[in-house]
Amino acid sequence: MLVYTLKRLFAGVITVWFIATATFIAMHQVPGDPLMNDKAVSAEIRANLEAKYGLDKPVTEQYFIFLGNMLSGDFGISFTQQNRRVNDIIRDHFPISAILGLLAIFFAATGGVLWGALTAIYRNRLPDIVIMFLVILGISVPSFVFAALGQLFLVNLNSLFGQSIIPVAGWGTIWHMLMPSMVLGLGTMALLTRLMRSSMLEVVNEDYIKTARAKGLSPTRIFFRHQLRNAILPVITVLGPQIAAITTGGFVVELVFAIPGLGRYFVQAVQQLDYTVIMGTTVFYGAFLVLMVIIVDILYGFIDPRVRLS
Amino acid sequence: MDTILSVKDLEVEFATYGGTVKAVRGVSFDVTRGETLAIVGESGCGKSVTVQSLMGLIPMPPGKITGGTATLNGKNILNLPPAEANKFRGVEVGMIFQDPMSSLNPTMTIGDQIAETLKVHRGKSDQEAFKLAVELLERTHIPEAPKRAKQYPFEFSGGMLQRAMIAQSLACNPAILIADEPTTALDVTIQAQILELMLELQRTENMSIILITHDLAVVARMADRVAVMYAGQVIESGTVDDIFYRSSHPYTLGLKEAMPSNTHDRDKSLSPILGSPPDLFKPPVGCGYCARCPYAMTICAEHLPTATAISESHEARCWLHHRTAPDIEELHQLEDQDAG
Repeated sequence: MLVYTLKRLFAGVITVWFIATATFIAMHQVPGDPLMNDKAVSAEIRANLEAKYGLDKPVTEQYFIFLGNMLSGDFGISFTQQNRRVNDIIRDHFPISAILGLLAIFFAATGGVLWGALTAIYRNRLPDIVIMFLVILGISVPSFVFAALGQLFLVNLNSLFGQSIIPVAGWGTIWHMLMPSMVLGLGTMALLTRLMRSSMLEVVNEDYIKTARAKGLSPTRIFFRHQLRNAILPVITVLGPQIAAITTGGFVVELVFAIPGLGRYFVQAVQQLDYTVIMGTTVFYGAFLVLMVIIVDILYGFIDPRVRLS
Repeated sequence: MDTILSVKDLEVEFATYGGTVKAVRGVSFDVTRGETLAIVGESGCGKSVTVQSLMGLIPMPPGKITGGTATLNGKNILNLPPAEANKFRGVEVGMIFQDPMSSLNPTMTIGDQIAETLKVHRGKSDQEAFKLAVELLERTHIPEAPKRAKQYPFEFSGGMLQRAMIAQSLACNPAILIADEPTTALDVTIQAQILELMLELQRTENMSIILITHDLAVVARMADRVAVMYAGQVIESGTVDDIFYRSSHPYTLGLKEAMPSNTHDRDKSLSPILGSPPDLFKPPVGCGYCARCPYAMTICAEHLPTATAISESHEARCWLHHRTAPDIEELHQLEDQDAG
């Protein structure tokens, strides 16, 4: 297990290095740079700025400086926000995105497993048909639509009670987190429901379920002890990438609900060609994704003994 | 005799898109204490469906038990809700299956799976149940049982898994062990070991065995009594000697003819039974074997033969045993051989 974990971590580091390099190359291929942004600067100021940020050096040297800084955990200073270090931006705003994302994943995973199992039990009967219809909706409708609908719902709810029960936007308390995390998790929940359903239907026909019934176990016990644990394996597998996708892809929901998460800075930085912020957030997100996948792989080993021991 | 299980006129149907399949069409048999009843027949003859419907294991729908009775120690066991059925499943009747590789939960240790039965039915604590599970594994001759009990099914070989399955089915000292083709998925040397183990446990536990198989060699080795099934019916039943030495149904004769032998007549080619079993979407009006039977008469296609007693222990469903039927040489030859 330890060797397995170390191997995965090593592969993870290589992946992150690859992401960093690819981003660096891609960014320098894009025409323009952060200094030719809005107002024209004179040649001298420009030269000074380039010297300050190290942009006057050859690209390969810039690459190694960047790698060196990255290794010491320093992503540099933002080009567009005055004297703001990228590390500070990540530190201030990533936890918000992370909390939102993890809550969303929590909703998605519990909901997906629950609805998936339910539809499998009621296969081809009314609950199955209704839920599977909603699942198709959840997969095909984009999140900003759900975000707007969610806000509308909150507005109506609050006006019904004549006071603010649940805040419509903003960030701070658990009540602020409820609606955006549900909206953010909805698509993933729909995806997981489908996965769980097909996985459950497969497990129900397995021989060991017949054995469990022949042993005289109650249907509830068979469901929890024998079906669920085996059916949940494929769901766990996709959970890793889904966690990262939700945590990093939440900027639409963050914008609609006015949540000061990292997603907004990421998008802004790309628009303004803010080299250091792009590099910092991309590498950070990349490392986060890799870490999540590794954690899920290790988790998988605990649930499926075949993975753990081979 | 001490009859434990009594099945009468059991009928099972499956509703499919193509229509209703009458998989079991009036099967009756008794099982007495300590004996082995072998149910023999080719694929699709309804032997597995028969025992699975007794255990409440056929999915309903599409399956449906449409007729008959089955009593275990005098109590009805057909069409019970799960809570009722679980009073005898795993307690009074244990069951093992064809493919041990897929019959155990891959994410639970062997010991936990055996212990589960004891926890549910005997109210044992976790530790107690696990200790008993280890003892059960020892009884089925699994070496290093304490260590093996902590392992998962994928760490076991096929033969070892079938031993573990047997240990699991024995957990509550059942009166009957139903073995649904227990050796089909195993290689021949392991087969012999598993059968030996079943015979040994039958002696020590004084339990009955219902053995489902299509292997006549296994039947000869294991069974006290045999029921031969064809097209959803028992067409001949009797003691193992009745079936092998006094075969009274053309199908049983055909099965024996089709069996390779290594004693005499080695140059003789095997004679398979030609044709295929009838379509059970539209079960034949007369005898199911009629279309393949070399001795078929007009009446065979028109009327279902009733069971005729040949001796006290021996019955066959065949018009040839009617008093007005012509004599069939083969049937007599065999009887002569036996007498001589």
